[in-house]
Amino acid sequence: MTEIQSIATPAGSVSAELVDFVVHEARLADENRYAEWESLWADDGIYWVPTGDQKDPQTQVSFVFDNRHRIGSRIAQLRSGRRHSQTPPSKMRRQLSNFEVLSDDGGEVELAANFSLFEHRYTTTIWAGRYLYRLRYTADGLSLVKKTVLLINNESAIRTIAFIL
Amino acid sequence: MTMRLEQDRLAADAIDYEKLIQRDRVHGSLYTDADIFQKEMRDIYESQWVFVAHESEIPEPGDYVRRRIGEQPLIVACGKDLKVRVMLNRCTHRGNMLCQSDAGNATLFRCSFHGWTFSNDGRLQGVSFRGGYEQSLGELRSELGLAEAAQVGTYGGFIFANLSGDAGDLEHYLGNAKDAIDRLVRMSPAGGIDLSAGWMKHDNNANWKVVNEVQVDGYHPLFVHESLYKAIKPAKVDYSSDELRVAVRDLGGGHSEVDYTAEYQAQDREFIWFSSIPRSRVPDYIEAMEALHGPERTHDILVDGPPHTFIWPNLFLAEMQVMFIEPLSVEQTIQYTAPIKLLGAEEMSARIIRQTEGAMGPAGFLIADDAEMGERNQVGLHAQEPEWVLFGRGFESEKVEPRGITSYDRTSETSQRGMWQHYRTLMTETTND
Repeated sequence: MTEIQSIATPAGSVSAELVDFVVHEARLADENRYAEWESLWADDGIYWVPTGDQKDPQTQVSFVFDNRHRIGSRIAQLRSGRRHSQTPPSKMRRQLSNFEVLSDDGGEVELAANFSLFEHRYTTTIWAGRYLYRLRYTADGLSLVKKTVLLINNESAIRTIAFIL
Repeated sequence: MTMRLEQDRLAADAIDYEKLIQRDRVHGSLYTDADIFQKEMRDIYESQWVFVAHESEIPEPGDYVRRRIGEQPLIVACGKDLKVRVMLNRCTHRGNMLCQSDAGNATLFRCSFHGWTFSNDGRLQGVSFRGGYEQSLGELRSELGLAEAAQVGTYGGFIFANLSGDAGDLEHYLGNAKDAIDRLVRMSPAGGIDLSAGWMKHDNNANWKVVNEVQVDGYHPLFVHESLYKAIKPAKVDYSSDELRVAVRDLGGGHSEVDYTAEYQAQDREFIWFSSIPRSRVPDYIEAMEALHGPERTHDILVDGPPHTFIWPNLFLAEMQVMFIEPLSVEQTIQYTAPIKLLGAEEMSARIIRQTEGAMGPAGFLIADDAEMGERNQVGLHAQEPEWVLFGRGFESEKVEPRGITSYDRTSETSQRGMWQHYRTLMTETTND
């Protein structure tokens, strides 16, 4: 993970293409548009929600560490109509801000953003943290290679996260 | 040290638990009454053996984790003598929480309020500006060490503590559930398990007994987990079959198990309990197990698999996961889940971490929906009519066997009946004192 101190993204320099992509991704997640959300992923995609900011997923447990196959399973379960923990589905709206490009080698770009997410299901729960994205430039536009969700409360007991974070 | 000099009378002592807990039904108020919760914390959690941590979490001198028993905050620490101590996380001066980190390594704890220091074996080390006291530092030290659990015991690396000193011998308490820990440990070719992959912590708005009941329930999978079996993969066994050789067993003492051994042995297939992976996926594990046990015994172990055993009141050996709960209030329970690393089996352990994330925890394909059931259960229980919750299922099919009261109908509510009968004993004993 890139150390925050080493980042020096000049203000306004994050391209509109990158911001548009992750804002679109956030909207699909907010609106439970599962199939469209799944279609953003590259074949080697990893969706990761660690249990702490400094965890090694190979030796430590995560809340979510989905490879592309398991992302497909997660979406299939949500679409089954019998995923009780999302029946009814959460209503959500999230804000992204503080965009920073962490690296860009021309083929792939690492982007970071802060987020706050308001989730309503019986009661309203506030989620907050930092998103780290790895995006790949392809002939068809950007695809999502990795999405890491660093929840501010990831070392504490958290409520159910059966929706898309 | 005696934790309580005398029993406080609680409002819930006056309740007639014999009436509220019958053989086939319990009263709904047992899940929603805050006075009853207070009594449970005193008469169950703070009076009996409770699981607090695993030795692999605190292997080195100075290692500690923060936990709780009932409403009491604890430090579970490994001293430089390698002895495990369970201490109350309260400065003996003015009651400040002494240790704030969830886990770490420290030779001493310094109270942030007035700077008193305690060594990690609980002894008072230093008192700031000690001239303010008439006693000598030696006297202060002998009187003001951290309070400790009266009894601490370990079995198979699992650390249990008892605050009261009245809970008897640990192995006696474990009783027929002791074998489950042996069965788990024998899955490792090095004879030990390790929980260093850490815990997922899940906040459930449900009474602790609801959370336990869902864990041991063999009736719900086809309904609660239908989305998993239909959309992703079929269940490991055919839950709709009446021919299934599964034993649901009340082991006594509130402990229970769902025992698939006979079904797995009849199929004679390895790893049914682990997505039926072929041996070729974990060659190092197979090699290490065969080196230790020989081919035949290894085959048997890999057919039988790990335990599926609940250890009263808060520990659940969920095959390749360890789960435990901390009740926070009558309506809130924290559920902890850790993947089990098998010592001497790295590939297998790495797979167990991925399996755990798939099934368990706040985002898991199974547990997210179990938690939803628990929370809906908690809401429903607030309705005053009908008054009773039914646990009579499979009662007629039970047989008394050497290991415990057993039903060969996997949907029997035998486990829950076992919990409740033990609960009634514990809640009644104090009432009648």
